[in-house]
Amino acid sequence: MRTDRIAPAPCQLWYSPNGRCKVRAIASSVTTNPMAHSQRIQSGDVGSGHVDGIQATAVSKRFDTVDALSPVDLTIARGEVVTVLGPSGCGKTTLLRMIAGLEPTTTGTITIDGESPDSANRRKRFGLVPQSPALLPWRTVEANARLLQDINPGANHHPLSDVVDLLERVGLADFRDALPHKLSGGMQQRVSLVRAFAIDAPYLLMDEPFAALDEITRADMRHLLATLSEPTNTGVLFVTHSLAEAVYLSDRVVVLSSRPGYVVGTVEVDLPRPRVPAVEDDPAFFAIETRLRHLLHQGAGR
Amino acid sequence: MTRRGPRSGTLWSLVGALALGLTWEALVRLLNVREFVLLPPSRIVSSFLDAPGFYLGDVVVTAKHLVIGVAISLALSLAFGAALAWFRPLEQASQPLLVLIMVTPWVAYISSIVLVVGRGTPAIVFLVSFVTIPAFVYATVGGMRSADPAARELFASIDASPWEVLWRLRLPSALPSLFTAARFNVGLGLGAAYFAEGATFNAQGNGLGETGKRAAANNQGGILWTTIVCAALLGILAQIAVVVLERWLLHWHASQRRTR
Repeated sequence: MRTDRIAPAPCQLWYSPNGRCKVRAIASSVTTNPMAHSQRIQSGDVGSGHVDGIQATAVSKRFDTVDALSPVDLTIARGEVVTVLGPSGCGKTTLLRMIAGLEPTTTGTITIDGESPDSANRRKRFGLVPQSPALLPWRTVEANARLLQDINPGANHHPLSDVVDLLERVGLADFRDALPHKLSGGMQQRVSLVRAFAIDAPYLLMDEPFAALDEITRADMRHLLATLSEPTNTGVLFVTHSLAEAVYLSDRVVVLSSRPGYVVGTVEVDLPRPRVPAVEDDPAFFAIETRLRHLLHQGAGR
Repeated sequence: MTRRGPRSGTLWSLVGALALGLTWEALVRLLNVREFVLLPPSRIVSSFLDAPGFYLGDVVVTAKHLVIGVAISLALSLAFGAALAWFRPLEQASQPLLVLIMVTPWVAYISSIVLVVGRGTPAIVFLVSFVTIPAFVYATVGGMRSADPAARELFASIDASPWEVLWRLRLPSALPSLFTAARFNVGLGLGAAYFAEGATFNAQGNGLGETGKRAAANNQGGILWTTIVCAALLGILAQIAVVVLERWLLHWHASQRRTR
């Protein structure tokens, strides 16, 4: 495995959202190993042997005769945002679904703070944000936002988040009693975000949640998501096609190749936090986007 | 293009009903149709006004048979349909039974029903329930299976219990198809009730079907046609009740939204 330092790596003190002080590199680095089908992705917080965080080890998936995902290793620490980026059909959604316990693995193991995905489901360790908002059309906005709190209530983490407050923060206070069909696509996706945040799960799993939105709304949504997630100590696995979303939201971006997906490389994103929209005009932002684009092309064999 | 309001729709329905009544009256009189074959609306109204209590009593009895029969059918179908929606092999195994219920004529087995469950109300309610079950079961299975897959995964991601999935997701998802089946079953159930009331050796005064059958046997066209029209009006009232319930319970559904 080869690690290429793209730029000098001075360090700075950085205060994580939970108040812990950490040292992190300012510059970005790229780790590449296109030939290896099983690859360790380094995490700043999770070392080998630890059980904290999401740990996927040599996880692969085969559907009948189709190899969807080559063995992949992935770790996500609490408070860390990791994006999986790759072309359509590369297995990134499959990887998320396996971590969420919605799809069995063909090989490999997955643990969430030392638990199996099924056990994590029972204890409401995930807030899932699917690609479509999946709002129940017969429930009002507020009732939809409260849905995950209402289901399996014995596993709720206390105290529960105030759904009304969350709706207010995403600008939907005036739509609490509205039915989903009255909302635009972006507003529906905001309800979906609130629904996931409302259970205070330690991990958020987001499967291309903004894919169906127009570019301006997508930008608004990624800014909103950063605003919501940064003050928490939530670990986020974000799956997307969008380079801008990947760079804006992430601490690390993992790039998968075309099917069967393997890790082409991982890029550390050390843009300052809290992320603000102005960072998207920063040359460093474009530089990381360019690096990710090159890795995507590399993974596609171009 | 102007937008039509609900009042406008009702008005046009009334105009249609009036036109139908006038055409019916005119055709029967002009063609000199025999009384037993078809009575003009004016004679039916006159027959009804001769003994309104008698007919209304029968309407109440038939309505009771219809409501109880359909309610039992719906309850059984929801339980049965939920099981079928969960276990596809069970659905396939139950197909022969459901198809058999749908295609076998009631006339063929009504005597057996009377022998098994007894004559009168039990046999009538049984037949109404029996013939309306397939449509409700198919609606339940199809509706429950149509629940948003993304929502199903959302429920699974926090280990929702089967009961929570059924109550909070699958059952509401099945409501639109259940109401479609209900509209169909109201007519089917009413036909079954009218037929069974006349065919299960019911006591006198127990339903429109029983009165209609006696009238037919005694060549009393006025009474026969009055029971037929009363049954039709009962069916319309039942349909209206279903529509009102549908608008209330499905206010969120696309079918209930008014679009241009």
